Amino acid sequence: MSRYFIALLCLFFLIMQGMAMSLLPANLVYSDLLMTPHWILIFLLIIAIFYDSDDTYHAVWYGLVFGLLIDVVYTGVLGVYMITYTLIIYTVHGLNKWLHANFFAASLLAIIGVALADTMLYIIYSFVQITTMSWGEYALLRLLPTLAANMIFFIILYPLVKEKVHDWAEEVSSL
Amino acid sequence: MPSLFRRKRLMVVLVGFIVLVALIGFSIRDRDSLSTPEKFLQDSIGWVQTVFHKPVSLVDNTIENVKDMFGVYEQNEVLKARLSEYKGVIQENQRLKSEIEELKNTMDKTDSLSDYSPIQATVIARSSDRWFEQMTINKGEEHGVEKDMAVMTSDGLVGKVKSVGAFHSTVQLLSGFDRSNKISAWVVREGEDEAFGLIEGYDDESGRLLLEGIKLDEELSPGDTVISSGLGGVFPSNLRIGTVEEVVNDQFGLTQTAYVEPFADMFDISHVMVVDRTAETIESEMDQEEDAS
Repeated sequence: MSRYFIALLCLFFLIMQGMAMSLLPANLVYSDLLMTPHWILIFLLIIAIFYDSDDTYHAVWYGLVFGLLIDVVYTGVLGVYMITYTLIIYTVHGLNKWLHANFFAASLLAIIGVALADTMLYIIYSFVQITTMSWGEYALLRLLPTLAANMIFFIILYPLVKEKVHDWAEEVSSL
Repeated sequence: MPSLFRRKRLMVVLVGFIVLVALIGFSIRDRDSLSTPEKFLQDSIGWVQTVFHKPVSLVDNTIENVKDMFGVYEQNEVLKARLSEYKGVIQENQRLKSEIEELKNTMDKTDSLSDYSPIQATVIARSSDRWFEQMTINKGEEHGVEKDMAVMTSDGLVGKVKSVGAFHSTVQLLSGFDRSNKISAWVVREGEDEAFGLIEGYDDESGRLLLEGIKLDEELSPGDTVISSGLGGVFPSNLRIGTVEEVVNDQFGLTQTAYVEPFADMFDISHVMVVDRTAETIESEMDQEEDAS
């Protein structure tokens, strides 16, 4: 049961990402500082930390599928988000073994995850020459605002879903 | 067996890398149309987006309406003053229109490059990835939208259709234009012929379009209007693009480059129309000839 809920929530975030860009006040979203929402990634990181045990990799597979969906719907260049999300979620899943699952550890992992993902997207896109922005500009104008915006989202999302995800995990492990 | 496990992980990384390169290579080349799975996904996500978009935009519009209500009185006064000016303009416009019609009839020329039929559409989402300036609209192949058609708001040109699904399509905004999306354009000047140029890109820093390839002896002044010429093949002519702000010589000193401020706001877009040119393009004429033979 919980697997379908997770998939539905991911779909919801996928749609909300696009809606947020067209409906949020323009002077907030389109100032000089460019922020990219990575809501699906943040949600899947929470899943990776609290839902998956050491030897299950549900979040990684979700990352693969919904990464591909983002590619198809929002960018048109296939494979980039798919590989990035899969790899980042796998990495965070591995790092999680050394940390206790609490708020601070989770937010630390979320920051690392989002920062790595956004940087990796930048590297891939600059290889295929979709962007020609320099590293300095990228870090200042894109990476920092993106991190800030996504951390705000994480702080809002965490209390809403944490208990639920925890329950799901116990439900699955008791089966 | 740790060595086998490590080898398996290496294999996964290698295969993943190959898949990544293959997929990017497949999707980044200049494609005429999307593959069927992509169309299917785009349309299904598009339907869900439409469902969510309805209530959210309702709330959004209500807030906007309440805000507007406070300014209604002042706006009304200004508009009343304008209205009397326009009456004269309308009469003149009608007179000119009938005159053009008559002249065209005498010349046996029925369709012109400036004729088009608009397809009204609503913006349902915008790319969440900021490297891509594109948005999704709720009209597609079934409604007559085709790749490369011009997309406008009431203010002016905003972009062109990048790819079409059956019921939804993706629009590339002017702010995401690069050298592969050229628009042939005219600069309209008072008392002189139009100057020709090509819109060849977008300057991210200043938020202006680059109009390149203008002859050195053409003199442009800031404030001149830039319109589409219709000679590029797909766009009709007379679509409003923007105003000239600054003219500089290009890096080799052979032509001039003008910085053009677009009329349309690239950020606050909710309703657009897709422009379907009436005059046939060379390609579609060729198709018809092939069909006939």
